[in-house]
Amino acid sequence: MAIDRRLLLNIDWLLLGTSLTLACIGLALIASATRVRHTPAVTLGAAAQAGAAEHESAAQPLRETRRWKRQVGAIALGFVVFLVVLVIDYRRLADHAPLLYVASAVVLLGLLLFGHSVAGTKRWLTLGPLQLQPSELVKVVAALVVARAFAESRKESLDLRDVLAPGAATAVLALLIALEPDLGTAFCLVPMFFAVAFLGGLRPRALLILVLLMGLAAGGLGWTFARGYQKQRLVTYATRYVSPEGWLGRQLARYVRIEPRAGDHRGAGYQSRQSRIAVGSGGFLGRGYGQGGQSQLGYLPARHTDFIFSVLAEETGFVGVSLVLALYLTLLWRTFETARRARDRLGALLVAGLASMLAFQVIYNVAMVAGLVPIKGLPLPLLSYGGSSTLFAFMAIGLILNVRMRRFVN
Amino acid sequence: MRIYEDMRLAQARVAVLQYSVVVACATLLVVFWYLQVLRGRHYRELADNNQSRQIPIQAPRGPMLDRSGVILAENRASFSILLRPEDCPNLDAIIASLSRLLHVSESQIRERIARRGAPFQLVVVKANASEQDVASIVARRLELPQLEVNPVPLRSYPLGPAGAHALGRVGEITERQLGSDDYAGVHAGTLVGQAGLEASYNRFLMGREGVRRVIVNSHGVEVREEKHEEAVDGPRLELTLVAALQRAMEQAFARRAGCGVAIDPRTGEVLALVSRPSFDPNDFSTGIDPTRWARLMADPDTPLIDRVIQGQYSPGSLFKVVMATAALEEGVVTPETILHCAGQITLYGNVFHCHRAQGHGAISLRRALAESCNVYFYQVGVRLAIGRIARYAQKLGLGAPTGLDLPHEMSGLIPDPEWKQRVQGKPWYAGETVSVAIGQGQVTVTPLQMACVAACVANGGRLPKPYFVRAIGGVPQPHTAPQPVGLKPETLAAVRDGMWAVVNEHGTGWRAQITGHDVCGKTGSAQVVSHEHLARSGGANEELLPHAWFIGFAPRDNPRVAFAFLVEHGGAGGEAAAPVAQAFLQRFFGENDAQQQVAGAN
Repeated sequence: MAIDRRLLLNIDWLLLGTSLTLACIGLALIASATRVRHTPAVTLGAAAQAGAAEHESAAQPLRETRRWKRQVGAIALGFVVFLVVLVIDYRRLADHAPLLYVASAVVLLGLLLFGHSVAGTKRWLTLGPLQLQPSELVKVVAALVVARAFAESRKESLDLRDVLAPGAATAVLALLIALEPDLGTAFCLVPMFFAVAFLGGLRPRALLILVLLMGLAAGGLGWTFARGYQKQRLVTYATRYVSPEGWLGRQLARYVRIEPRAGDHRGAGYQSRQSRIAVGSGGFLGRGYGQGGQSQLGYLPARHTDFIFSVLAEETGFVGVSLVLALYLTLLWRTFETARRARDRLGALLVAGLASMLAFQVIYNVAMVAGLVPIKGLPLPLLSYGGSSTLFAFMAIGLILNVRMRRFVN
Repeated sequence: MRIYEDMRLAQARVAVLQYSVVVACATLLVVFWYLQVLRGRHYRELADNNQSRQIPIQAPRGPMLDRSGVILAENRASFSILLRPEDCPNLDAIIASLSRLLHVSESQIRERIARRGAPFQLVVVKANASEQDVASIVARRLELPQLEVNPVPLRSYPLGPAGAHALGRVGEITERQLGSDDYAGVHAGTLVGQAGLEASYNRFLMGREGVRRVIVNSHGVEVREEKHEEAVDGPRLELTLVAALQRAMEQAFARRAGCGVAIDPRTGEVLALVSRPSFDPNDFSTGIDPTRWARLMADPDTPLIDRVIQGQYSPGSLFKVVMATAALEEGVVTPETILHCAGQITLYGNVFHCHRAQGHGAISLRRALAESCNVYFYQVGVRLAIGRIARYAQKLGLGAPTGLDLPHEMSGLIPDPEWKQRVQGKPWYAGETVSVAIGQGQVTVTPLQMACVAACVANGGRLPKPYFVRAIGGVPQPHTAPQPVGLKPETLAAVRDGMWAVVNEHGTGWRAQITGHDVCGKTGSAQVVSHEHLARSGGANEELLPHAWFIGFAPRDNPRVAFAFLVEHGGAGGEAAAPVAQAFLQRFFGENDAQQQVAGAN
C-alpha cells in the first residue's frame, strides 16, 4: 500500500517517543518484578541453622520464565500493528466499522459459548502459539463504531434519544465482555462512550441523567452478576473504615454474605494493603531497582501486570512516579490536542474516545495502586505485562497518529 | 467539494477532558507525595514488619550434675514438627493428612493451634518425632510446604523416677506463669521447670534466648538472615546429690510408698532425696499427653507430691527426741532421773497407755528413748507444759519450712494454746499436752524437718538449712552454715547417747544396725487412726497401719550423714523404716566412692 511521503513528516514523534519510552520502562519493571519466582518450599529450620551452605540452597530463588522477553515480542508485534493501523486511512477503517462491530460481537459470543475457561474466566482466544484477549481489541472497534455514529450526526445538540442506538451498540459489547467476566475492560467502554457523546454534542443535562442511570444500572447488574471475589473487593473497599464489630459492620454482614475467594486466605484487603505498603515504603527516591521488598519477596500480587505501578513506586520512589505520570500526561495531553486539531468530526471523536479509554485506564490503575479505588483487573497501558493490552495500546496510538498526520490532507 | 464541519463545540469540549486529565494526574501526584514522602517512614516500617520475622533461638537448658559430675539432667536431640496455620489455605485437609501421617489425633492438633500464644506463631504438631515421622514429612515437602522440622533439645533424666522429686520436671509454660513477672519475656509454648529444682532454678537453667531476624517471602519461606544473636546456654547446676545414693535410697524402699532424705549434718547439703511412688520426669519433656496427666493427678497415691517436703505427718515417737532435748535443757529431768512406767498412767483424769502393756518399770531417759517409753515422756510433758515444748520444737526447726531450695515446702504444725485459740477458738486442755509429748495430736512435721533435727543433734546443736545447689555455671553458691540453736553440750550428749542405744542397745531401732558403724536413730509410728479403731479392724487393713518412721545419723562420732525415712502404713518404725535406713546406710558406707566424694568435697 502506497503511502504519501508527506504523511510521514507529520508523524508526531513526541507522542510516539513517549509511548516507546513508557513501553521500555514497562519492560524494565517487568524484568524486576519477575526476577524471582516464589515457590514455596519446606524450610528445614535444622538445615538453616546447621550451615550456611544449606541455608543458601534452601533460599535459592528459582528463575521465572523470562517474561520480559515475551513482552519484547509483544511490543514488537504491537509496533507492527501500529504501522499497519497507521497506513490505513482512519476514514476507510470507519467505513468498515459495522463489519468490525459484527465480527467483534461474534468473536466475543463465540468465546462465551466455546471458549476455554482459564482461572474461571473465558477471556482468552488461542490462536496457535498466541493467546489473545479479544476484549482488548474490541475496545478499539467500539471507539471506532461510537465515533462514527456520533460523527454522522449533524445535529447542533443531541438528546437522550439520539444516543440510544450507539449506546445500545456499546452496551452489547460491554455486556459480552462483562460476562467473560472482565469487568475492568468492560467498564473502559463507559467513559469512552460518554466522552464521545459529550464531544458529539450531547447536552450536559442529558449527559448527567445518562451517567446517573448508567451508574444505577451498572450497580444493580454488577451486583447481581458479580462473582464472590468481585463483591468482596468492592465491599472491602467500601467498608475500609467500618469496624466489623460495630453496628454498621453487623448490619452489612446481615445483608452481604461474602464467600472468601478460594485460596485467598489472607483476606480481601490484602492486595490493596500490600500495594499501599509497597508504594509508601518507596519513599522519595525508592528502594532501588530490583530492591523492593514488597515486589521482590512476592507480597505484591499481580506485580508484573495490574500492579506494575506499585513496583515502580516502591523501587523508584516519588521521583519515578512523577516521571512516569509526567510521561502519561504528555501522552494524553498530546492525544487530546490531536482530537482538537483533527480534520473532521470522525477523527476528533475517534481520538477523543481512544484518549478517554487510555486516560481512564491510567488514572484508575494508578489510583487503585494507591488504594484510592476498589481493585479492578485493569492493566496499565504500555507498562503492564500482557500481549493483548500492549496490542491495544499500540493500536490506539496508531489510530491517534493516523488521525493526526492526516489533519492537513484532503 | 469539501464540506467543512463545525468543529467548535467538539474542540471546546475536548479542552474540558484535557484539563480533567491534568487535574486527575495532579491529584494522583499529591496522593503519592502523601503516601511516599509524608508517610514513607510509616509504610517502610509496615514493609519491614511484613518481610522480616523474629525467630527465637531456644537456649539449651542447663544440665544438672551430681557432686562428682554424673549427669542427672541433660538435653537430648529430638525433632519437632511444626506448622504455621496462617500459611495453610486448606487447614482442615492439612490437619487430616497430618493426623494420618503422624498418628496424632485431629482434635489434639486443633487444640494446640487454638492454644498458641499469638497468631503467626508456629504450632508444635508433634514433639519428639520419630525418624519415620521426620522422613514422611520431608518426603512430602512439596505437598506440605507449611511444615517445619526443627531440632529441639529434649530434657532427659537418666535417673528416671528415682530423681523425679529432687530434680523435678519441665512442662510448657502455663497461662498463669505467662502472666507472672517471674517468667517475663518467656514465650507461650516454652518449656519451663514445673517442679523440683527445674522449677526453683528455672531462671538460671533457661539461659538466654537468642534471636534470628530473617527476611521471608510472601509464602513465609526464609530468603536471608539479617541478624543472628546466639542463645546463651543455661549454666550447669552442680548439685550436692550423689547419684549412686539417690538410686540406693530408691531401691531401699523396695517399691513401698514413703520417702527418705539424707543430708550432710555438717553443711546441710542434701545427699539424696526420694519420694515414692514416683513418676518418670522424662514423660513430661515432650509435653505429657492429657490422659496420662489426668491419671497422675487423680492417683490416690499422689506420685506428684514430694513427700519429703510436702508430706505433713504426725511425728509419733520421733518427737521424744525433741521432748528429751527440751526436758534436759529446762532441767525438768537429768540423765540420771528415774521415772516409773507401769504400762499406763492416769493424768488429768484420763488413762494414757504405754505401747508395752506390762510397763517398763523404773526407767531413765536413755532407756526411755531406746525403748520408746510413752509413760516416761507423758510425765516429762506434764513437767514441761505445752509452752516450753512448742518453744523447743520451734527452736529445732519444726513448724516452719527448712528453706530447702525446692518449691512449695510445707511447714508442718506445732500446736500451742495461742494457736488453738486462734484457729479452733477453744482453750488448750492439759490432756492435749500429754498427747503432744509422744508426738500425737495436732503435731505434724515433714520428713525433711526431722532429718534436720537429727542433723542438729548429730553436729553439736546447729540447725542446718538444707540445700541442693553447690555451684551454678562453675560459680560456687554461698550458703548459710548450720546455725547454733543454743543447746548445752550435755543435753546433746545425752540425747545422742539415747539415740545410740535405740539402735545398738536392745532398742526399738536395732534393725538399723551396721557392723563397724555406730548408727544412732529414733523410731516412730505415726498413727493414722486411733488405737481402738486399729484394734477393731484386727490389723488386716494395711491402710490403717501407722506410718513407720526412722530418723538418725551416723556415725555417732563425727557424723557424716543425717537422715529421715518414712514408710507409709509400714506399721512400727523399728520394723518397717529402720531396715530401709539400714539398707541405705549400708550403701552409704559401702560405696567407697560415695564416701570419698562426700569426704573429698569438704
